[in-house]
Amino acid sequence: MKKIFAIAWKDAIIRFASSSELLFFIILPIVFTFLLAGGPPSGNEDPRISLLVVDDANTAISKQIIHELESSTSVRPEVVPHAKAQQQFDDRRADAVFIIPAGTDIAKLQSGSAQVELLQQPNNINATIAERAVLTAIRKVSSTISAAQNAVKQREAKQAFASETEKQAYFESSLKLAQNIQKDAPERVTVVEGNTKDQVDYDPRANSSAGQLITWVFIPLFGISALFAYERQQGTLRRLLTTPSRKATFLLGTISGQVAMALVQMLLLVGFGILVMKLNWGREPLALFIILFASALAAAAFGTTMGTFIKTEGQASGLSIMFGMVFALMGGCWYPLELFPPAIQNAVKILPTTWAMQGMLDLVLRGGGLTDVLPKAGVLLGFAVIFFSVGVIRFRFE
Amino acid sequence: MKKLFLIGIKDLRLMFRDRAALTFMLLAPFLLTIGMGFVTGRFSGRASGLSNIPVVIVNLDQDQLGNALEDLFNSKDLADLMKPTTSSNPEAARQVIDANKASAAVIIPAGFTRSIIPAAETMLDPNYVQPIPVKIEVYANPTSPTSAGVIKAVVDDFVSRVEEGRTSGLTSIVQLMSSGLVNPQNAGSEAQASFQNVDQTESTAITLNKNTEGANAVQFDLLAYFAPGMALMFLMYTVSYGGRSILSERAQGTLPRLMISPTQTVQILGGKVLGIFFMGVAQVGILILASSIFFGVHWGDTLGVAVLILAAVFGAAGWGMVITALARTPAQVGSTGSAVMLIFGILGGSFVNLDQLSPFIRTLSKITPNAWGLDGFTTLALGGTLHNLTEPITALLIMGAVLFGISVVLFSRNGLVQK
Repeated sequence: MKKIFAIAWKDAIIRFASSSELLFFIILPIVFTFLLAGGPPSGNEDPRISLLVVDDANTAISKQIIHELESSTSVRPEVVPHAKAQQQFDDRRADAVFIIPAGTDIAKLQSGSAQVELLQQPNNINATIAERAVLTAIRKVSSTISAAQNAVKQREAKQAFASETEKQAYFESSLKLAQNIQKDAPERVTVVEGNTKDQVDYDPRANSSAGQLITWVFIPLFGISALFAYERQQGTLRRLLTTPSRKATFLLGTISGQVAMALVQMLLLVGFGILVMKLNWGREPLALFIILFASALAAAAFGTTMGTFIKTEGQASGLSIMFGMVFALMGGCWYPLELFPPAIQNAVKILPTTWAMQGMLDLVLRGGGLTDVLPKAGVLLGFAVIFFSVGVIRFRFE
Repeated sequence: MKKLFLIGIKDLRLMFRDRAALTFMLLAPFLLTIGMGFVTGRFSGRASGLSNIPVVIVNLDQDQLGNALEDLFNSKDLADLMKPTTSSNPEAARQVIDANKASAAVIIPAGFTRSIIPAAETMLDPNYVQPIPVKIEVYANPTSPTSAGVIKAVVDDFVSRVEEGRTSGLTSIVQLMSSGLVNPQNAGSEAQASFQNVDQTESTAITLNKNTEGANAVQFDLLAYFAPGMALMFLMYTVSYGGRSILSERAQGTLPRLMISPTQTVQILGGKVLGIFFMGVAQVGILILASSIFFGVHWGDTLGVAVLILAAVFGAAGWGMVITALARTPAQVGSTGSAVMLIFGILGGSFVNLDQLSPFIRTLSKITPNAWGLDGFTTLALGGTLHNLTEPITALLIMGAVLFGISVVLFSRNGLVQK
């Protein structure tokens, strides 16, 4: 027991010899968890299509049009300088650009000579949607003037005006009437939100907390392989042959030390999840411990097996990061598993990250308990048994 | 120049002999790109944008305006955008939405037309009491907010057109009556006539000039974002790997040997930098080529792609040199390089689109070659050319030059460039 503890302690000293290890142990996991959970509010979560608006007129009418666009349910107007909008459009970064030219004012509307421009990318659905929103906005602004103009036309069809003054007076009284009619117009559309259940079990904070925990804990556990390679390269494994220490003692010391460090790291990240992200990690402490422990064992076992195939420390550290990142992505730790095609969802069941993630989501997202977590923990322990067996059988001091 | 080139080629050869490094530099970003392809639906054809939005139309009105709205959803104009089905049962339509089988149901209640266009006999009746407005219900699917928003926009557009027609018709008839040009006997039929095409009213006060470019439409390929995102992230590892070789040579004693040869320090350092540059260009070039061959990604203007790769590698190599100049051992370069790779990966948009992050993070991302490189690759994938890449390429070149300057100062301080 003393030997096991000594080996584990020695590994901890080696690992934390450089203060940069703290970066990977706690700082980067927290940064990634925070940013992938949505980070600080961006103020840009508006799902509407972005529409660049150039207000060269800067008149009451142009402001009214922009105001109408702001209340649109499909586009989000963003007023930008003309040159910037044109540049973005030319670079194909903007689907559409709405330009209100200089001189667009009430007088131009009255004379019917007001013109606005919409630049649209070809065959672009967002540009088509933007066009519809722009038409609605300019219609709302110009409808009373159009109504007054139409009233004047109807009147002229029946009887000509005696003078321009009379015509103008008729237009003005018609405009006033039209404005009153429009003002009194009732709402004719109501939106009711349905009771559709989201097909994807997803909460950015819970998914990010669990997913990043797995990513950042699994990578160093896969890195057990680097420890074996390091000891082998340094010749210290051979020296162990000369001491009365068994292979099992060395393996147990190395693995238990890394698993213990992983549990500390996990608990720190769970603590961050509870205290900062207000996640419900601590509801079922026993179930949480079981899934964390089973996950750490599975990852450590995989690292042990890797260590028996890899020759150099450089190979081991590169492959640990690569396997860690690929397993995390494919196991649903970065994006919900439901986004993958069904065949891939089945295929990734061979990865320990998939089961670890599902187990942790059972607790932190779905409100599950011990009975929900146990099957996943069982599979993870199965991984651990298989990979430890392969690792122990293949392990050589030289 | 020859010596510089020879040192660079030697380092490139060493990289290609290191299978572990090659695996990490090439296989890892390639596998992650495949994963991103699955997530974004690129391989299952799910990422085709907003089209064929499923919508259920329930027309209980069965009158002029209800029928016009139903026709609008079935019109040729909206054929690509909408995929309408009809139902006569509002409750059944709502259940379709609750079952997540459509984006929204548009329920047009009975009496909608009459609530806007009263019958001729009641139109000008002073004792006529306006009925409670009959509202169209848009029953929206909360899991498809954008699609439901588009359906709502179509309904809003239609209703605003109707409202405009109603305002215009009422204004005309009331003004004519006030002027005594319509007598009460035929006022009803006059009013009815003015409401005939109420749903087709078109404002003439403001003309909308549409300007569609003549060029062909470009379908943005999501892999054209994620593949360079991953390549640029792992490029940071490659440049630090190259930097590590400088310190390894010093530790192994081959760097002092080079320095006592008739080779200038600047040639040695320049050769090492050239080696890093070659490695980066080879890595990104291979990944771009592989994405084209295996996934059919269209990168756009070839010249633009080539220049952008060179500029991105130059910017990233600057960071690699600074990391190397600050580190004392090859191991420090390795761990710092990995950390910078991951930090720049997330800041630069390799994992999530920068638009989803806060303005502060977006500003901070400008220090990474990843953000500028991705900006350039996105422009190219959207049909841009070298001409449109002035900003990212200039930024990357300035970044590289400034960082090389800083690294030379740091190298001088720790004695690496002194003979």
